[in-house]
Amino acid sequence: MTLAYEPGETVVHRLDPRSKLVVQIAFAVAAFVHTSPRGLAVLTVLGLSLLAATRTSVGRTLWELRFVLVLVSAPAFVEGLTWGAPWFSIAQARGPALASYRVLLILLVSAAYVVSTPVRDSEAAIRWAVPGKVGRLASTGVALVVRFLPVLQADLAAIRRAMAARLGTERPVIDRIRIVAIGGLERAFLRADRLALAMNARCFAWNPTLPELQCSWLDLPALALAAGLLFWAVL
Amino acid sequence: MSTEAGGVDLVGDEVARNLARAAVFAALTGAFAYVSFPNPLSPAPITLQVLGVFLAGILLGPAWGAVSMALYLLAGAIGVPVFAGGSAGFGALVGSTAGYLWSYPIAAALIGALVHGGVSLRDAGEASSVRLIGAMVAGVVVIYGLGVLGITIVNDVGLVAAFVAGAAAFIPAEALKIVAAVGIVRSERLSAA
Repeated sequence: MTLAYEPGETVVHRLDPRSKLVVQIAFAVAAFVHTSPRGLAVLTVLGLSLLAATRTSVGRTLWELRFVLVLVSAPAFVEGLTWGAPWFSIAQARGPALASYRVLLILLVSAAYVVSTPVRDSEAAIRWAVPGKVGRLASTGVALVVRFLPVLQADLAAIRRAMAARLGTERPVIDRIRIVAIGGLERAFLRADRLALAMNARCFAWNPTLPELQCSWLDLPALALAAGLLFWAVL
Repeated sequence: MSTEAGGVDLVGDEVARNLARAAVFAALTGAFAYVSFPNPLSPAPITLQVLGVFLAGILLGPAWGAVSMALYLLAGAIGVPVFAGGSAGFGALVGSTAGYLWSYPIAAALIGALVHGGVSLRDAGEASSVRLIGAMVAGVVVIYGLGVLGITIVNDVGLVAAFVAGAAAFIPAEALKIVAAVGIVRSERLSAA
């Protein structure tokens, strides 16, 4: 199970997606500006509270992020290595370790957004933020990506099963990549062209009707938090 | 309940077709993140994400290839699990993977422009192997260059540490993907598409 939207009734779930996006951006800015033990301590408390407010366990989130965390932590480790004794310098690794830790905090806060925001709310936010035809293409494109992803994953899995059943796993790796990709592409193009036809048949327009986004009093604390973080960042 | 009375401004056939293809390519690049092969040249397994970037540039051309990769980033940012290891979220766009992710639209545009010799599309299957391979090598340079640069900035480390920790283990596999991509572009099964 990857991190994805989970329906819920928490305060964070009820916030306007735009406030949540602003909080994330402000949090990232604050984390980059205050990459000191004290700054990160404050942000740790804040980040964990935000995640807790969505009723998501930190342990599970870290587990879901485990592959990303290797890339987040490895550079600090490599930077600390030295030629000759003592082989590892804590002084050299200190700055990079703090920098890696801030990335971890940013990832936790964005996980809080991901689990608490349905994709259609984010689509509406994109449509609001990017005006005109570009915004329309962006929000429709993202909506299509969301819907295509599971179908294409199933396509690729089916191709790999078929290949394994025919001992395709014994072939050289270049052949396997080629076979999986060609099968995947063939089906993907077919699906895209069928979809384009279907969209045209259903009056795919530049000006459709979308759910109306509305800020409520609940969003005030979120916006105040974002403003506070940005203020702290420029101090 | 209020109703809106206004004209419907229809999207043209060509744009709808290209948008659908760009979206499907973005989703395919995301789905490729879940497909991993054992790597004969390095301990890090091969995932096919970068192959998605190559093919977006080659098959969709510079403009729609870049649009497709931008959609991929946007979808990931709002929580669709398309990034490496099935991760998602705005954090990935400013975290350690930032350089890699932001390089994808640029690399797709560059590869598309080099293969098609400009903005107008030609049949990619007829491009010479030298042109295809050269374009993809240029794409790899952009992807890894920006990727390593991103790690140095975000993780506050030197270029060498960033390269060793974040690129060295993955680069050998790119050669395999480039060879595979040439075979894919030349495949007769795709020429009808």
